[in-house]
This record gives sequence, structure tokens and C-alpha cells, in this order.
Amino acid sequence: MSYYFAIVGTKDNPLFEHEFGTSKQGGDGIARFREEARHMNQFIVHSSLDIVEEVQWGSGQMYLKHIDRFYNNYISCFLTGGNIKFLLLHNPDPSAPNTHASLSSQPNPPSASTSRLSTASLGASSRTNNSSVASNPTSPAAEEAVRQFMVEIYDAWVKNLMNPFYGLNAPVKSPVFRARVAAAAKKYL
Amino acid sequence: MTSEQDTDPLRSPRQFEPEESIVLPKTRNSALRNASPASSIASLPYRRSNASLSALFASTSTLPTSNASTSGTATPTAGLVGGSIFSPGTTDGITQPAKPLPSTPDDPRHIIAQAFVPHVAVLASTEVDGLVIQKGFPGGLLQLLRPYGEKLNGKVTVRDSNASSRQLEDFGIRFKGLRDGLESPRVPDHVNTTRQRPNGNSFPESPSETSHIRMRTGGDVTQIEELVDRHLIFAESQFVHEEPDYLNFKNQGAGSLSSPSRFYALYLRRLLSGLPMTPHETFSHPVACVIAISSRTPSPIEELRRLYTSTNSGEHRLPQWVNNEYLRYYVLVHDEEHDDMSRSQALFEQMKRHFGLHCHLLRLRSSRCLPSDDDSRRLPSCDWVPAAEELAEIQRREEHEDDDDPTPCLFESDAQSIRSLVREMVTQSIIPMMERQSAAWNDQVASRRRGLSGRFMSLSKRLTNFGPGSRNSSGPLGGTGVSSNYDSLQGFYRPDAPEAIMRKLADYAFILRDYRLAYSTYDLLRSDYSNDKAWRYYAGANEMTAISVLISNQAVTTKMRAEGIDQALETACYSYITRCGVPYNALRTLALGLELLKLREASAADDGARWASRILENRLVGPVGTALFTERVAACYESRIGFGSYNWGSRQRKAALWAVLATENWMKLEKGAQANKCLDEAGRLYKTHGDGASPLAFGEMRLFIDELRQAVKASRLAAAEVQDDDHAEEEALVEATEELDLSPRAHRKSLIGAAVPPLTSFDTGPLSPLSPARPPRGDPQPSRDDNFE
Repeated sequence: MSYYFAIVGTKDNPLFEHEFGTSKQGGDGIARFREEARHMNQFIVHSSLDIVEEVQWGSGQMYLKHIDRFYNNYISCFLTGGNIKFLLLHNPDPSAPNTHASLSSQPNPPSASTSRLSTASLGASSRTNNSSVASNPTSPAAEEAVRQFMVEIYDAWVKNLMNPFYGLNAPVKSPVFRARVAAAAKKYL
Repeated sequence: MTSEQDTDPLRSPRQFEPEESIVLPKTRNSALRNASPASSIASLPYRRSNASLSALFASTSTLPTSNASTSGTATPTAGLVGGSIFSPGTTDGITQPAKPLPSTPDDPRHIIAQAFVPHVAVLASTEVDGLVIQKGFPGGLLQLLRPYGEKLNGKVTVRDSNASSRQLEDFGIRFKGLRDGLESPRVPDHVNTTRQRPNGNSFPESPSETSHIRMRTGGDVTQIEELVDRHLIFAESQFVHEEPDYLNFKNQGAGSLSSPSRFYALYLRRLLSGLPMTPHETFSHPVACVIAISSRTPSPIEELRRLYTSTNSGEHRLPQWVNNEYLRYYVLVHDEEHDDMSRSQALFEQMKRHFGLHCHLLRLRSSRCLPSDDDSRRLPSCDWVPAAEELAEIQRREEHEDDDDPTPCLFESDAQSIRSLVREMVTQSIIPMMERQSAAWNDQVASRRRGLSGRFMSLSKRLTNFGPGSRNSSGPLGGTGVSSNYDSLQGFYRPDAPEAIMRKLADYAFILRDYRLAYSTYDLLRSDYSNDKAWRYYAGANEMTAISVLISNQAVTTKMRAEGIDQALETACYSYITRCGVPYNALRTLALGLELLKLREASAADDGARWASRILENRLVGPVGTALFTERVAACYESRIGFGSYNWGSRQRKAALWAVLATENWMKLEKGAQANKCLDEAGRLYKTHGDGASPLAFGEMRLFIDELRQAVKASRLAAAEVQDDDHAEEEALVEATEELDLSPRAHRKSLIGAAVPPLTSFDTGPLSPLSPARPPRGDPQPSRDDNFE
């Protein structure tokens, strides 16, 4: 699983970008995006801002869980009070595509007459039993891990905001902030 | 500059030429070789000989907007103008109604309603076919009737299940051969015959009957792709010189993605034409059969009887899953020029006595009609031909160097009588019959099933299934058991089983556009099929449930959409792909669902986009389809409008993303014009978003789009250059005397193959002793000279 994390300002401008890989399950924390598709991360994250703008009115939470999907990339969002968006893109490694291929092609058994939503969550919970947290971004455990990650970054972000030399909507260049993000990533994802 | 030296190199490329054009379908995706086939096609419209070919493309690709013909005329060549704008104009001048040009042509609802119409088989005696072939229609009576069935003159009144009548404006029927749609359109040996035709002239002039039948079967995605690709290549060659002049200015303004591109409409149409005949749906099963004899037939009544029995038990008997109780419509073809009218009249009276009211006397002139004749009409073109047939037609016209449109002509009087035949048959026989049967089935089968006792019966049936029957139903003996009517061994219901009859009832209701009845019946059927584990039927019922809800005008709430429609589409798609392995049907389901959802209010467009991306994820389409459906996703997202001044809830960024993806896909296919269109759209979407913020703050995005723009521009320029060269050379050639029988194609090939820019040829010209300095125009030299390099 590779991650792309971006902080997007109020004018759809990126303030901070960071790529990292999973550190769970013996991962080395290095992002493995395919080189020819790397630009897609920005496109996908940018396009999911549409969904953020819609979902943000639906709940009072700051953490909006996973909000969007593009093929097998999932996007989680955390919204700050100042309308700054933390967006995290999960990209499964091409080496282990099995769970997501099956997710998209065989959604739910048609004999089940329950609604889509409940079967989906049912499927998700059954999947968590055998697959890891990291490989399934929709599972509750993964959502929780992402939430903790986001909260940690929010903490760092607030400290960053209190810096008198930091202007609104300006890119974050602080190496300390980047180190904190990397540490949080290593800790939770 | 002896002629000996020069003629030889001229001849040899000419022999290669057919290979070039035949190879085209195979290598359409390879970037390397694309240039030469594309340009060989590009060259076609400029030659008088292939005006007919360009007419073929124009007539099909102008379906929704009549765009291509105008842009075609923008390139100033006399031959082309005659070919593409006048010939459709004159052919369709009076027979306008035959061409479906409704008020809202790009309305997918309209396309879908027109795709599912009664299919009428045509069975003619040999005398009739002989007469029609003598008139110049090698396809026999079927070819003659086919175009006139697509759109009826005037309105048609249909009574629905509540006995309220409605007027249908654009009703039509589809004529077909009796056994059309049974064979798969692309069988290995057939592929070989189409592909391995390197010498070009081995194309069978009158292909055997089986291959005709095969060609009239649709449902082959590869062929659809191939066909659309041919159209794209043609359009690509046309659109290079596209300037927003006053002819196509308006179209450019309206070029937003929300209106489907012509190619997408073509794709959809071809997807829906020539529906293969399968047990699980009855749309392509014949509703009626035209049995035709001629006044020349020696013993007419016996011949009619013979034909009738052949549909029941003989060679024309359809497979046993087809309900054989379709209407037989008897037609007596009277030869106006050779036969006695009073005798035919007497025979017709006799026919009526024997066979009842479903008879018609068709008066045709037997002599061949020439285009120069007074009241000659060209046979209108069919809109709903399957891809294989159109491909074959394109190929045929490419190979034949016919000077004029090979579409046969017929007399206006003939056209009139055929139109009245079709109209009378539809309004007085077919529709009343369908209404009657629907009402009867509805009373006897469906309502019984729908009522309390029916529910109870199905419940008890299900309960008994838990007994020993349940093992049977999945085993090979299942069909014969009392528990289920489904023959699981052969995979169909017998046509007299209640499930099959109800499916037919629902299909009839759908055809007659009584969507409410269709929906309720399909909905009932779903549970039956699911209990019987008749997965293909189950998928079909689910597909049509969703589509009949969406196509009707009733409001669909979000909840209903999430629970009913999504579920139905999902299961249909799953069953089609995973359980039955018929990706074509899955593609049809998703494409129709997506189109209809897109028409609905805001949030449904999201669902539409989701289904479209499902098509892409499951790889149901080839490269051309991928590009088209990617464009479609963008269109779905774009059609969603936001609220308030900030446009909250709009999907502009998503639309832009998909537009960029579409651009990328088009560039992979080397379709510069399409890529350009999508890129413009993406740029527009990215710019106009938000409150004037800098459009693309993400660096890599900007970089990527800039690169894409460069690539598109480069490809457009390259294409324009090739075409400019083409133009110059073509003009030179027209001026040149043609005494040497130069092949213009060979000439062009040399130019493109060597990729010599015109400038260098000017430079080297005077220096080289072999190629003399450019002689003045009006001399055949320049072309020889070029060939030398």
C-alpha cells in the first residue's frame, strides 16, 4: 500500500505534499507508485475535492472517513476548521491486487436481498478477518488508523499555524512539519 | 526521364496498395503503421471514385447532429461536395420520414425506444426474390423492405394495459431474415475470410446466405469497435482543416461534452442493433413473419402453404425456445409490368379467403430503375444495421472503384407501395395482435401470478422445492420435474411455460412503451428466475427492470434508486459477467443504465458516472470504447449542477479529470481531433472553477496537461501537414492529364511513406540528375518525379 498525503488550501492549492508507503507488515515506508501514473495522484486528489465539498455538510465531524474512490484508489479526508483539507490517497500495491480486484468486480451476491450498503459493510467486516488493515481502506480498523494519523497531523498543523511567519494558504516548507508527518505515517499506517 | 524508367516504379506500389488498405483493421492501434492506412483513407474522399464511400461515412456519422457533412463540405473539393452533401440530400429528399430525425435526436431515451421494436422476419418465395434481384437488389425482398421499416409515416396509436391509447410518433419495425441473430457474428472461419483478403478482389460478390445471416447479427463488441474506429479515422482526415467557419461554427460552440459525440451515438446504436436471438429475451424473436409470393408463382396457394409449414416444422423452424405462434403476414407481390392486374386481384381475393385478413397486395415494377430515371429514388440507408454489415459495406466500397453510389434505385411508386405495405401491416396487424396477446397474457398468466393465489402458488412451489425437488432443479433432470419449468440442462424455458410467456408479455409491453406494465412484470419475473437458478433469465429480467423504471417518466426517489435500480443493475451485471460470461449483455445493461441515469436529476448523474466507470473497470470495451466511455463519465459529472453561488455539489473537477483521461486515451489511439476536443473541455472546466483562483495549483497536473497539449498540437499539425501535401499533390494530379493511368493512391503513398516534406523535394529537385526540376503544372511529370524519391 502506498499513500499520497496532501494538504489542500482554500483555493484548491496544495500546501503540502508527502508520499510514503506502509510501515505495517514489514513495509519499508517507501511509496511505490508507478512512475508513469504518479501524476494521477494529484489529479485524483484534486477531483475528490468535489466530493469533500459535498460531504462536509453532511456530518459535524472533522474526519470524514473515506469519501471517494477512483478505480482502486481510496481517498480519506480530514477537514480543519479553517477549511483546509487533509487528503490521503491509498493506493494498493500492484503486487497484491487481489482484494481490490474482487471488490470491484464481484460486489455482492445477488441473492442477498438486503440493500447495497449493508452488504457492503458486511463484506467489509468479513474481509477484515482475513486481510490486513492496511490493504483494505474501507474497513473500520483502517478508518480508525487513518483517523489517528489525521489527528496527529492536525496537531502538528495547528502548531504550524501558530508560527507567526506562516501566512494563510502558503505552502508549508518546514522540515519539522514534514518529519512529524513522516513519523505519524510510520506510527499509524 | 524515359518513360520506361518511370512507369515501372509507378506500377509496383500500386500492387502493394490493396494490402495497405486491407491491413488496416488489424493494425489500427499500432502507432507505427497507423499513418499510412489513415492517410490512405484520408485520401478517399478526394477521389471522385469513392464519393460513395464518403457518403457512407457521412450518412452514418451525421446521425445526431448532421455535423460531418457540413464539415466535409468545408474542404473544398468538387468531388467531395457532390458525394457527401448532395447524394444524401437527393436520396432522402422525399423519403425523409424513413430517416429518424426526431426533434431531440441525441436523447438516449429515444435511441433506446427505437432499438427495441418489433422484429419482423421476411420469408420470400424464390420467384419474389428473383423479381427483386432483377430490379437490382441483390439482397432480395428483405433488402427492399428493410429501410422502410425503420420509421413509419405518421403516428401509430397504441392501447396500453389500462385501455388508454397513446400516440407514438417514431414507431418502427425491424425487418430481418427469419434465422438472423442465431449465429454468432464472428466465427473463426468468417474472421479468416474477412481478414485474409490480401489480393482484394476475392471478396465474394454475393456472399453465401449463412455469412449474410451472420453479418446481420449484432452484439459483437470487437466489430463495433472496429467500425467506430473506421468512422473516427475518416473523421480525423476530415477535421484537420476544421476552422470555425460559418458552417460548423455552431457545432463547435455546442461542442460541450454533455451532448454525446456522434461517435458515441454511433457506438450506442451499433450496440443495440442486430440484437442476437437468445432464449432469455424475446426482443429479437419475430413478432410476425412476412410470407411473400409473387404473381409469377405457378401455384400460389400451395406455395404459401409450403412456406407456412416450413416456418413451423421445416427448414425455417426456429429453435424450440422461440415461441412459434407469431403472426404470419401474407404478401402477394404483383409485377406491374408483366402480369395481369385482374388475375392478381383474383388471386389476392383467394388468398384473403384462405388466410384471413393479414394479407397485402404489393405492386412493384419489375424493371431495374436507373438513377437517371424520372422518378427514381435511392434506397434509403438503414440506421440500424449491425456493425459487421456496415463494415462489410465500407470494405466493399473501398475495394470497388465504382464511380457512383452503388445504392440501388427504385421507382417512387414502388417506394410508395412499400411504405403503405409497412404501415398497413404495422397498424392493422402487428400492433393489434401484440395488444391482443398482451391483454390475454396479462389476464391469464400475469394477473393470476400477481394475485394472492399466485403468490401462494409460487410460495408453495418454493416450499416443495425444499423436498427432493430441490436437488433435481440443479441436477440434469430439473426441467421435467413438477417443481420448475426451467430446463436447466439446455438452459431455457419452453415457450409455453408461464415464465416464458410473462417475459414475452413484458417485452411486448416494453416494445409498445407501456413501461409501467413492463416494469411490474419484469419485477415479478426476477424472483421466479432466481428461484429456478435461471441466471441468464434472471440477469435479463434485472436489466430490463432497471431500464423500464428509468425510461418511464415516473419520478425516481433516491431511496428507490439506491435499493431498486442499483441493485438490479448490479445483479444483472454480475450475473451476465460472472455467471453467464456474456460481456456484451453486461455492456448493454450498463450503457443503457448510464444513459438513462444521466437524464435524471442531479444526483443520478453520479450513479451514471459510477456505472460508466464500472464498464471501464470490467474491461467490457476495447480501446475505442474506453475512450468513448471515459468521455461519457466526464459528461455525466459535468451534467451535474451545483447549488448556490459556490456551485457546491457540482462535479467540475471530476469532469475535468475524466476529460483529461479521455484526452490521454484518444492520444493513445492517435485521434487528434477527438483528443483536442476533450482537452479543450478539460481546460474549460479547470479554468472556470471556483472564484477566480489560479486554476491549477498542483504542479504535476499543470505539467501533465501542458505536455498533453503539446502532444495534441503536434499530432494535429502533423496531420494537417500530411493533408496539405495531399491537397497540393491532388490538385497537381487533377490538372495533370491522366494518360498514363497513374494510380493516385500509389502516388500519395510514396509521398507519405517516405515522409518527405515538400521543402526538401524542392531543394533536391534541381540537383538530382534523375529527378528533373519541377516542370510546370499541367504536365504529368510532377507525379512521376515524386514517385522516384
